[in-house]
Amino acid sequence: MDIAVGTSLDRVVILAYFALVMGFGAYFGKYSKNTTDYFFGGRRFAWWLITISIVATGVGSHSFVKYSTKAYQYGLSSTMTYMNDWFFMPLFMFGWLPIIYYTKVKSIPEYFERRFNRTARYLATMMTLLYMIGYIAIQFLTLATALYRIYGIPLMLTVVLIAIATTIYMHFGGQTSVIFTDLLQGFILIFAGMLLFFLGIQYLGDHTAFSGLKAFWMNLSPEQKLPLAHFNDPPDFNFVGIFWQDGIAGSIGFLFLNQGLIMRFMAAKSVNEGRKAAAFNTLLILPISAIVVSNAGWIGRAIFNAVPGVLPDGLAANDVFVAVTNIVSSPGVFGFIIAALCAALMSTADTLVNASSAIIVNDIYRPMSKKEKTEKQQLDFARWTSVGVKVIAVILVPFFNSFDSIYEAHGWFHSTFTPPLVVGVFLGIFWKRFTSQAVIATFIGGAFLMILGQFNPELISPFSHGIELRPDRGYSYIGALYNIVVCAGVGVIVALFTKPNSEKNLEGLTVFDVHKLKAIFKGSAVNEEKGEDVIVNWVMDNTDENVMRFSTSDMNRMKANPGDLVYIQDGRWWLGGLKSAHSVYGAPHDEDGVVYINSTHLDHGQFVDGLELKAEKEM
Amino acid sequence: MDFARTWLPFLYLYGVGGIAFILGMILILKSKALRTTYDRHKKWVFVLLYGFLFYAGIHALFIYLAIGSQ
Repeated sequence: MDIAVGTSLDRVVILAYFALVMGFGAYFGKYSKNTTDYFFGGRRFAWWLITISIVATGVGSHSFVKYSTKAYQYGLSSTMTYMNDWFFMPLFMFGWLPIIYYTKVKSIPEYFERRFNRTARYLATMMTLLYMIGYIAIQFLTLATALYRIYGIPLMLTVVLIAIATTIYMHFGGQTSVIFTDLLQGFILIFAGMLLFFLGIQYLGDHTAFSGLKAFWMNLSPEQKLPLAHFNDPPDFNFVGIFWQDGIAGSIGFLFLNQGLIMRFMAAKSVNEGRKAAAFNTLLILPISAIVVSNAGWIGRAIFNAVPGVLPDGLAANDVFVAVTNIVSSPGVFGFIIAALCAALMSTADTLVNASSAIIVNDIYRPMSKKEKTEKQQLDFARWTSVGVKVIAVILVPFFNSFDSIYEAHGWFHSTFTPPLVVGVFLGIFWKRFTSQAVIATFIGGAFLMILGQFNPELISPFSHGIELRPDRGYSYIGALYNIVVCAGVGVIVALFTKPNSEKNLEGLTVFDVHKLKAIFKGSAVNEEKGEDVIVNWVMDNTDENVMRFSTSDMNRMKANPGDLVYIQDGRWWLGGLKSAHSVYGAPHDEDGVVYINSTHLDHGQFVDGLELKAEKEM
Repeated sequence: MDFARTWLPFLYLYGVGGIAFILGMILILKSKALRTTYDRHKKWVFVLLYGFLFYAGIHALFIYLAIGSQ
């Protein structure tokens, strides 16, 4: 079947979208003053801002095509992978999140050095970078595959143009630009996906005996209405394999190892805001995202069942997204929905590029630099690193283009690089006895056994749960269970035969010390007394000391003492903490409703003269 | 639709996933990472349990509706 390539109006809409995002992202460059701002956004944002920006990160450009395909083939069970992330939320919210936030680790590999040793850090750095840069290349390839058909530009040139477009706003803005462009793109993604669903239901209503949602529901078969796939059949889409590959390995990988996601949570103004973002995202946004990325396939299947001849019998499943969008939308709207595909790519790619850049600076550049680098040198290096990461990703695109499909390339990545890291970080956080030698054995020995399993599928058979072994393709998803078992097995055995690290070296790095982390972070006893927020006017104080001074009365209302930590932000809630700063309470004064801040706070918070600020005690 | 197509995946998902969830809850409670004596932590216990039941409820509802539509 011919794929619709859009009209001139569609091409204008897509170009306008790119211009809008580049301008929007570049504007926020002024909020990146140092590497902490560049990578982590200065630890200042509200939970809702983090939540929406996570949507755009989680939904990649491949998601629309991939999930529409499965939705068209199997119905509502395409949502499985979006609806199985809650099981590890207790350990994430109250284990991993406070550890990374309060210990101020700047990257996952840095955690490996602190928890284990430098060798573990370098191994983790290598595996994480390979994974992320490859993932970026896949994102570039996916979108370029769609866009080069629309514009008629050669594939590799399209890849380069996309890479340049994302560079323009990221180069100057870093994490703050990423968060705000992802906020915009998150809304566009959800709106475009739901618009497609609405148009599809309208189309079904116009062409069948039913109307509204009933037209959609009544035109799916009972099997297509089930939310979970068949337990172990067929081999390329079964429940149990996908549960282990995505629900277990994927969920741990996403929550505990995705540097981009971790950096997003570290941009939250507090751990509690991070928890709110995680809960809201998983309970509300993920189910909506599942509808957004899958509905083209469901609508396509309902159209196929109810209106014969509109979609051909031989329609390639991968073409469903474009075919259905073309049928239910008009010129201009098609361009807008393809622009949403661009939103998905750019937002996922920018997060991964920023995360890769953070790892290169934190885990290679800083540890290997003989002389201490200034913030400006590090920031410049970080900016050029993000360009370098994209260049490497572009160079890798032809390699991934040589796979049979993008999904195969994507699946190969997931199954090859995540299990050793998943086991290493998980046992590191939740098992004190897990040693440095054990994590290195997990990386090396586990990887060896995984490769052995790939070439000898009979090793995976005991874990297969009755899934059929395809002679020339082996097991697909259930291989994740084998990979986890061998990596964990090697790690546990070596841990039991090696000497554990001392308690002192583990302080603050396992779940068992989470209750001490606030005090470690603050450097003194934590003030847990609950106070109220106060509204104040700011006045410049000619001091270099990192303190903010409030009146005695305002400090009493906040239940704060000198030395406690304070967070202050522009009074306009909808800025979500963009204009904000952290500091320490200094000695009080007598002017109620006034806070004295210094030039660093002003520079960081970009506060507006004459506008009130809201202050709250952090701890 | 046989059992392997309807309720078996559901039981496996919330059985094995439920074990991971319960072990996680026990671990954060035992390690005092989550303290039920703190007011602001209490609400999180409810949120965490609600999330588990929310997803189990959605999946069970759709399986029930799909079976009913045969």
